[in-house]
Amino acid sequence: MHIPDGFLSLQTAAAAAAVSAVTVGVCVRRLRRTLQPRQVPLLGLTATFVFVAQMLNFPVAGGTSGHLLGATLVAVLLGPAAAVLVITTVLVVQCLVFADGGLLALGANVLNMAVIGGLAGGGLHLLVRRFGSGLRGTVTAAAFASWCSVVLAATACAIQLALSGAAPARLVLPAMAGVHAVIGLGEAVITALVLVSIGTTRPELVGGVETPTSRRPALAPRGLLVVLALVALAVPFGSSLPDGLQWVVGQLGLEHRAVVTAGAPLADYLVPGLDSSLLATALAGLAGAGLMLGVSCLLGRLLVPGKRARAEG
Amino acid sequence: MRAGVAAVNAVEVRDLAFAYSDGTPALRGVSFAVAEGECVGIVGPNGAGKSTLLLHLNGVLPEAPDGSGAVHVFGAPITKENLYEVRRTVGLLFQDPDDQLLCPTVGEDVAFGPRQLGLGGPELGARVAAALARVGLAGFEARSAHHLSRGEKRRVCLAGLLACESRVLVLDEPTSELDPRGRRELKSLLASIPATKLIATHDLEMVVELCSRVVVLDRGQVVAAGETVALLGDEALMLAHGLERPHVLRHRHPHD
Amino acid sequence: MRHGFLDRHSRLQSPIHALPAWSKALATLAVVVSMAVASPSWWPVLVVAAVLLAAVTWQSRIPAGFLLRRLLLVEPVVVIVATLALWQPGGRTLFAMLVARSTLSLAALILFVNTTRFSEVLDLLRRCRVPSLLLTVLALMYRCVFVLVDEAERLQRARVSRSFSPSAARSWRWVAFQAGQLFVRSSERAERIYAAMCARGWRP
Repeated sequence: MHIPDGFLSLQTAAAAAAVSAVTVGVCVRRLRRTLQPRQVPLLGLTATFVFVAQMLNFPVAGGTSGHLLGATLVAVLLGPAAAVLVITTVLVVQCLVFADGGLLALGANVLNMAVIGGLAGGGLHLLVRRFGSGLRGTVTAAAFASWCSVVLAATACAIQLALSGAAPARLVLPAMAGVHAVIGLGEAVITALVLVSIGTTRPELVGGVETPTSRRPALAPRGLLVVLALVALAVPFGSSLPDGLQWVVGQLGLEHRAVVTAGAPLADYLVPGLDSSLLATALAGLAGAGLMLGVSCLLGRLLVPGKRARAEG
Repeated sequence: MRAGVAAVNAVEVRDLAFAYSDGTPALRGVSFAVAEGECVGIVGPNGAGKSTLLLHLNGVLPEAPDGSGAVHVFGAPITKENLYEVRRTVGLLFQDPDDQLLCPTVGEDVAFGPRQLGLGGPELGARVAAALARVGLAGFEARSAHHLSRGEKRRVCLAGLLACESRVLVLDEPTSELDPRGRRELKSLLASIPATKLIATHDLEMVVELCSRVVVLDRGQVVAAGETVALLGDEALMLAHGLERPHVLRHRHPHD
Repeated sequence: MRHGFLDRHSRLQSPIHALPAWSKALATLAVVVSMAVASPSWWPVLVVAAVLLAAVTWQSRIPAGFLLRRLLLVEPVVVIVATLALWQPGGRTLFAMLVARSTLSLAALILFVNTTRFSEVLDLLRRCRVPSLLLTVLALMYRCVFVLVDEAERLQRARVSRSFSPSAARSWRWVAFQAGQLFVRSSERAERIYAAMCARGWRP
């Protein structure tokens, strides 16, 4: 999902970069407060681990293979703030050492994969985990959260492409969301399997690196994240999107630019009848999320044997 | 020269060449043969290509099987078709046991191979128990694989190979990082296994004890092959290739 | 392996390599930004950029074949995303523009990355007031990348060695297990690195 250069308009790229910079800054400040010095190398090595793990091939029929994104996995292992930092590190190295992902687009990539991926994944995981317990609860919650994080990141990416006039929103949003709903399934399964592998050999590694300074302050930011995540999940699929984008377009003065680059792709939003297709996508998205929750529970049951089975086996 | 019907060699390597992806040659035309039941030592300095050679013997390398027919196992060249069959026949023990332990418990890990061969139920359990008993870890089935000592881990990996009843065992530095007792136990264990054995190692004392023949590898080529005592006792040859005469041969009486 | 690991080009000697990192970074940014605002009427700018990049490639002694291969690696993604533009009025021009802009930006970035050592990049980031925690994590990550790649390769080979059938070789469970083991080892290595850093006087 690395956006290459040349697709995002300057305004979109700059806006995304600004949001990322602020969020990463907040996470760094939080970590400086809560992280023990002995865990700094762990952050570095986890970044390396994510980089290497992203290269592992999970074969799918016909010679293609799936790959891990890893933001939610890291959020489950080290906490959401650490996940943001770790994935940002991976993206920066990929861009500045291997030219993977655009330079101007780095801000957007960080926003999509590190910030949204890490915070939404981490936040949703913490929310859903309350309803389960033990390794099975963690694995179930992680599977669901990682699917959502992939879909949300893809949606954000699609919005950025649409706002830049690089692709028509009515196509790119459903396309990206739809394709990544499937890819997200792979991410969920892989995240679950990896967590089971770590959880059975070294259970103490699944937790978080932040020393809890006190219970209450921690809940508020998490709650906010969860709310934001849910809103973000509903918004792109919501039929009010055309109006929302139109407002944004007007504010950013992109209308003129859209004319300059090619015609007016965003003018399509004013065409009636479009709402129905976006509404359909919205409903599909929410239904998908519900289905995914069920699939995650099934995964949890399959991969983590219950106490009785373990005692017998 | 053998009289009567010529026996097929367990492993035969003919002019094997291999270069890393960046072009550096690792093996430059290696050739040797190992008869069934023999124990052959592969010695040489670091960087000679020993590990790379071993990875070719069960088809892990080259990564895309090129059908060049450089390695033959019991008379058949390793091809894409018989790759999995070869891996059943030739068991490779890696230098780092942690690389090889795949399952959380010892029992599951030893069962990994036989399960793929179709065994199940009580037969599988019996095979696992027998293999663990052979390596001196009877009753370890439920133990966590990751909390064992290095020597114990290595023995678990060996049990995994024995449970598959591999006809050929290829071992990469089996005594490295073991304490003296671990080393002694592993040596006597290896001596008791009747399968064909190829052992790549720096432990020249063990080579003298266990291997009837030795292949000396340096810079990707076979520089000498023959009787262990004769080759390892040749001080000039040993020093020329980054090795040295093992102590057990230094103090041999000329009339031995 | 998706990545061209061979950082070796950044250690070549050439007039471009000798330039200070900030100048190369600014130049790359200039190219990328101009590509981002380029419209179809800007095509002379694209041509000039292409010529400049070719000149820099030649001066930097980076093999043209390497550059072309890296470009080709990303082209499929670029083309697929650009294809979405075709469903718009004026789509064909937009498609061509997107591909051109993207390719030239990528070429500039590849040149930058292959003529600048990562240590110089880190230094540049430090001067841009990037938080020190992020810088430390970046440095550690880079240092350990090649080590972990080797470990991953060994784990892979050991697993392949014990796979007696195609389904075992393709099993997601074992690949995921490999990944899990890699993480466990990473965390153990992190402990050792922490001890080593402290022993050498590191203060967080």
